[in-house]
Amino acid sequence: MNDDDLLRYSRQIMLPEIDIEGQERLCAAHVLLVGLGGLGSPAAMYLAAAGVGRLTLVDFDRVDLSNLQRQIIHRTADIGRPKVESARDALLALNPGVTVTTVPHALQDEALAEAVRGADVVVDATDNLATRFALNAACVRARRPLVIGAAIRLEGQVMVVRPDRPDGACYRCLYRGDGEPDETCSQSGVLAPVVGIIGAMQAVEVIKLITGAGDTLDGRLLLLDARDMEWQEVRVPKHAHCPVCGVPA
Amino acid sequence: MRVTVKLYATLGAWLPPGAVRNVAPFELPDGSSVAEAIERLGVPPGQVHLVLVNGQFVAPEARAGRRLAADDALALWPPVAGG
Repeated sequence: MNDDDLLRYSRQIMLPEIDIEGQERLCAAHVLLVGLGGLGSPAAMYLAAAGVGRLTLVDFDRVDLSNLQRQIIHRTADIGRPKVESARDALLALNPGVTVTTVPHALQDEALAEAVRGADVVVDATDNLATRFALNAACVRARRPLVIGAAIRLEGQVMVVRPDRPDGACYRCLYRGDGEPDETCSQSGVLAPVVGIIGAMQAVEVIKLITGAGDTLDGRLLLLDARDMEWQEVRVPKHAHCPVCGVPA
Repeated sequence: MRVTVKLYATLGAWLPPGAVRNVAPFELPDGSSVAEAIERLGVPPGQVHLVLVNGQFVAPEARAGRRLAADDALALWPPVAGG
């Protein structure tokens, strides 16, 4: 790190949990961030600002006027642009020292597996169960930590999956069924800062996974009810016969 | 026996009478299971994805066998997948 980097990250380096060693780990880390919507916007901005060296952004969508109420990485002038391009420009303006790779289409099968294998930590900032299941399965197979966030209306959830640990629950231990009805923010609405809270918490967990600071939300689901501003922590046990991380019944 | 039910997001449509915001008292026969409580509420089981009793996770396969007691707090969440 040069003098500018030391100054840029000084407020973080002075934390004993991070220190210079943790900052160097962040600068050397590669995070795969899937979804540049309400969750991915704050998560990406905090990770870039905090100095995560490489960010790969995946999103097939383009910026729409109705996104701007909560997807704060995008600007009005970005309407119509691919979200990954809009996000890349914002991140590089925030921190030119970060390397940003963009993937303007959905990743599936081997392409998804390869992207997951190439990352140190994966962030699930998507908006539907099918994509979440695919990402979870890819992370379990590649043994990559996965930081999951979800939000709708005034409710949010955060959880960390650690496939590299034998007793860790995965997302499928929590959601068992197939083809559940999805409820999307575009159909049901979402309060803007709720995705901000959850996305920022995802960034915190990513930084802790990379630096080794503190305890992460491994197998612990945090539930936010922002209407009454209540947090609840639920321990999610590993399901012995989970179709993704368990053994067949 | 009387328990408290708390239904999140779209499940609020099945709140019993007397609800304040998303919380309601709910009368059940003594010894009712979590699965029976969900059935009496009328919530389609396919829409119940996360069940908590007094803040503890109840796995889907345990819902039929988990008995409720008076004053228990039963919380139900639909899938939250938005972002």
